[in-house]
Amino acid sequence: MRLRTTLASLLVSAALPVSAADMVFTSWGGTTQDAQTQAWAEPFTAETGVDVLQDGPTDYGKIKAMVESGSVSWDVVDVEGDYAAQAGPAGLLEPLDFMVIDRSKLDPRFVTDYSVGSFYYAFVIGCNRDAADDCPKTWADLFDTEKFPGKRAFYKWSAPGVIEAALLADGVAPADLYPLDLDRAFAKLDTIKDDIIWWSSGAQSQQLLASAETPFGSFWNGRLTALAESGVTVETSWDQNITAADSLVVPKGAKNKAEAMKFIALATSAKPQAELAAATGYAPINLDAPSEMDPKVRATLPDAQDAAQVNADMEYWAAHRDEIGTRWYAWQAE
Amino acid sequence: MPAVAVPVSSRPAPLGAAEPSGFAYVVPALLLVIVFFVFPVAALLLRSVTEPAPGLGNYAELFGSTTYLRIFLNTFLVSGLVTLISVTAGFPVAWMLAIMPRRLGRIVFAILILSMWTNLLARTYAWMVLLQRTGVINKTLMAMGVIDKPLELVNNLTGVTIGMTYIMLPFVILPLTGVIRAIDPAILQAAALCGATRAQALRRVLLPLALPGILSGALMVFVMSLGYFVTPALLGGTANMMLAELIAQFVQSLVNWGMGAAAAFALLVVTLGLYALQLRFFGPGRAGGL
Repeated sequence: MRLRTTLASLLVSAALPVSAADMVFTSWGGTTQDAQTQAWAEPFTAETGVDVLQDGPTDYGKIKAMVESGSVSWDVVDVEGDYAAQAGPAGLLEPLDFMVIDRSKLDPRFVTDYSVGSFYYAFVIGCNRDAADDCPKTWADLFDTEKFPGKRAFYKWSAPGVIEAALLADGVAPADLYPLDLDRAFAKLDTIKDDIIWWSSGAQSQQLLASAETPFGSFWNGRLTALAESGVTVETSWDQNITAADSLVVPKGAKNKAEAMKFIALATSAKPQAELAAATGYAPINLDAPSEMDPKVRATLPDAQDAAQVNADMEYWAAHRDEIGTRWYAWQAE
Repeated sequence: MPAVAVPVSSRPAPLGAAEPSGFAYVVPALLLVIVFFVFPVAALLLRSVTEPAPGLGNYAELFGSTTYLRIFLNTFLVSGLVTLISVTAGFPVAWMLAIMPRRLGRIVFAILILSMWTNLLARTYAWMVLLQRTGVINKTLMAMGVIDKPLELVNNLTGVTIGMTYIMLPFVILPLTGVIRAIDPAILQAAALCGATRAQALRRVLLPLALPGILSGALMVFVMSLGYFVTPALLGGTANMMLAELIAQFVQSLVNWGMGAAAAFALLVVTLGLYALQLRFFGPGRAGGL
């Protein structure tokens, strides 16, 4: 899950030294990486005897630098799906070994030659019941400052989620989202620009909602689950929830490729996927994982909401990532 | 500029005056600087004119776009504001520290230093919580009836300025204290004996004598502010973006190293220019004792 890299790097202590027999797994830090360590790395070490060193946070600049210099110290990296779809064909990633990784059990939405899903999440509408008289139920509500006055929280970085929400709020049917009509999306976003407070990390989004600085907004579903468990009265609307996935990739030239493939095979198998989902509130990408899960836990995950799901198109994002990103940041800074 | 005796315990001899054989001792340091500084900076510059295509395209895009120019201007605006407020607020504190009894002074010093040792991110988050609309400051003011709707203190220029000034204050206070302490108190007594009022003694004696410390502290804060990242990213809204944030976006999110390098190089040139100005006017030994 995407924590802002530079900010997060201040939270994560110095990278661990790496010896030859080990492999390195890199993710975004925080509770999600803790859960990945517990659900994936620990059983992997128990099974293979290979130690998994945790590093982070994921940094696309670093991946490029490592691959270009030929000194790749990360073996498996948790990245955003749209990045994986772009970086693979761009020559930054190793093709995955599907003799080792069982592709047939994986949700095909999140599999490419260079990447498999890590877990998937949904942007949902979250609302602090104690702070708002009325909670927005749809994206159109969230963009309606007359019906729902006050500040609202949105994800700061250029990624699938906010542009889709703007278009859905403007009345575009989910089936007609792609190719994204950027002019229309930014025009819609302009109508609420002064009322947006941007969150740059999951922790910040929780702080904004819990303190009622923003009584509502668009959030990662797992963060709302965690907030509700901590005692905040959170109302979640899954209406047209926008799903996107994190992916597991192996940077080109990784030193422990064989171990990396085995690690991914285990991480994406049914039981570790089920355990990660239970710990994080995000959905498993292994098709057999749901049957391994407590039905009560399953009901809180994005995959129980598939009737209301809108899938972000990773292929489209991969092809237009740079163009959208450049325009997005320029628009924000205007 | 009046000739001022700035106490520098061991002022280095100018390089030219060293014995020829002394140069050998400099070689390791020089190599270090070349390998870890000169070489990467040259590589950076090279990238800015070769990626994605050879030429000055990146610079043209950087300086040809009103958005990016606004980010440049905003960077200077914020840095200037922070410098002005830090110096204005830091001077009285430094003065107080300088004339305090040593023991008490040490305690205040320790408090200042402690705040610098606390994690930057934690301090910035604390400001976020204090300043937000539902934060302590707004709630207290509203409970007291001073205001009836919350002030916008964060996610804008106000938030960045408050947060950065807080972080930069020690960098003004510490060198300035050293400079003020070195001023002979007898000079102020002499001023008083000659009939100067307190205000006159401050304006015409203390301030001119402390000026080198003020200017070098100000320059340091200004230069540090130009490249600041965390605080503006968390306390400023996106409309108040600063250059360091833009560079981070280019390098990490968009993986557009050509543009990132161009922006970083532009910032470096400005910073070096300011440093050259400092050297020109105050000399290398006058950096306020730091």
